[in-house]
Amino acid sequence: MIRRPALLLLFLLPVAAPAKDSCVECHTAMESAPALKFSKDVHQRRGFSCADCHGGDRNADDQDAAMSKAKGFRGKIARAAVPQLCAHCHSDANLMHKYMPQQRVDQYELYQTSVHGKRIASGDGAVANCVDCHSVHDIREVKDPQSPVHPLRLPETCARCHADAAHMAKYKIPTNQFEEYRKSVHWAALAQRGDLSAPSCASCHGNHGATPPQVSSVAAVCGNCHALVEDLYSKSPHQPAFAAMGAAGCVTCHGNHGVRLPSSAMLAGDKSVCAQCHTADSPEGKAAVEMAGMINGLNAALKNSDQVLRQAASSGMEVSEAMLRQQEAHATLVKARVAVHAFRVTAVSQLAQSGLAAAAETRRAGENALKERDYRRMGLGVALLAILATMAGLWLALRAIERPPQAPAGAGRR
Amino acid sequence: MITERRNLIRTLLGGGFVASLAAFLYPVIRFMNPPSVSEASVNEVPGGKIQDLKPNSGKIVKFGNRPVLLVRVSETEWRAFSAVCTHLNCTVQYQEQRRQIWCACHNGFYDLNGNVVSGPPPKALDEYVARVRGDEVVISRRA
Repeated sequence: MIRRPALLLLFLLPVAAPAKDSCVECHTAMESAPALKFSKDVHQRRGFSCADCHGGDRNADDQDAAMSKAKGFRGKIARAAVPQLCAHCHSDANLMHKYMPQQRVDQYELYQTSVHGKRIASGDGAVANCVDCHSVHDIREVKDPQSPVHPLRLPETCARCHADAAHMAKYKIPTNQFEEYRKSVHWAALAQRGDLSAPSCASCHGNHGATPPQVSSVAAVCGNCHALVEDLYSKSPHQPAFAAMGAAGCVTCHGNHGVRLPSSAMLAGDKSVCAQCHTADSPEGKAAVEMAGMINGLNAALKNSDQVLRQAASSGMEVSEAMLRQQEAHATLVKARVAVHAFRVTAVSQLAQSGLAAAAETRRAGENALKERDYRRMGLGVALLAILATMAGLWLALRAIERPPQAPAGAGRR
Repeated sequence: MITERRNLIRTLLGGGFVASLAAFLYPVIRFMNPPSVSEASVNEVPGGKIQDLKPNSGKIVKFGNRPVLLVRVSETEWRAFSAVCTHLNCTVQYQEQRRQIWCACHNGFYDLNGNVVSGPPPKALDEYVARVRGDEVVISRRA
């Protein structure tokens, strides 16, 4: 039971009321879209109000006082002024530290180096500013799946402008990037497998400092993830040759936005990218065909032994050791495909030989297991026949016992 | 009366014969056509003697038909991870100089918690439990 003085004290305690926000109150009553959206905004949840961007007095009930120029009311923010307005807080390390200590504070600085930033500075208000990508009045954290800059949604956000032919007409750049990207192995990893680390627009172009990778930096951009491939390429004869031609490294063979799953068909055959520069009877053309043959041969051998091992395993045979070895052989195939980027036949042939030896070994193990299975089945069949014959014999014997004895011939004649 | 008793015995014998035959043939048929087995259900495997692996080194241990990387981080600390790279299923190995787990296929690196450090692997390696039991290390699945 609470005693009376203690009860009185409860009434005296200050009650923490939410901060007044007359902008939201009035504009919500007017069913204004920005005010209705603002409840979902990360800034609102951290205690910021309309007045922090638009100026004015959030505590004033009177409309004129709340939107008084004397209180710094700015009204609608001009598109060109948006980056600077956001940077007022987002470039302030001390302020940002209170809300998101780990967030970078150089976004505005980077933005100014980007194509978007340079164009907006030169008076082109049609290029992307902060709110075009992050949305406005309902800004969410990047990790929120509903944010337009969440990794799964970012390509569509960039495509809103970059796939719009009318919008991009004056910049004279293609608008098929998103369409191409959606056919790529990177999109498959991102959208189909849900791999948030898969590259999307910002992974190669940057986000706030968005700029197209230059010819000389393409290999380094791809090498961010494909480090080993970049290393082999940079030491290969193609690197100086492509540099002299002004060809953009990886992109020359793999394309840029529409990077497909690479295969040996890129080396030889109708879809060979090598054939774009090398004739089939040149040493380089022959080397490409040879490398494709090795990779195809290893791939076929591995598929073959995979099938034998699967059959043995599904027959209940113990082939786990061989399956482990088979996994190593598959890794050799992956390495052989990577080694193609050294553009030396010996680099691929060493790995292909080692993979073929492993595949032959695992196939033998699988075949031996299947022979053992057949031997056991045959033994079982023989035993089964013997048991069935015994049972049939017993049954016949029982019938013979049950049959009434026949009277000797002529016993009834007297 | 005798005929009825004989019929009853014959029915019992015949029924017993058919039931025995079915009980005998069923496991034979199942043996000839077994269900597909995806992976041997192994929950724990020995990782070898403690003294066989020096501190700051690792080795591959067979866990059913999957490889597991056992790492001796220090004198007393042991860790175990799936040795299958999350990128393209190559077998990873321990790199003593960098004290990291390395996939040779595309130069992917993982730290000693299995998290991706660099390269194309999309996610962390699955972790197993490595415990010392007597003079032996035992690897088991995480609960």
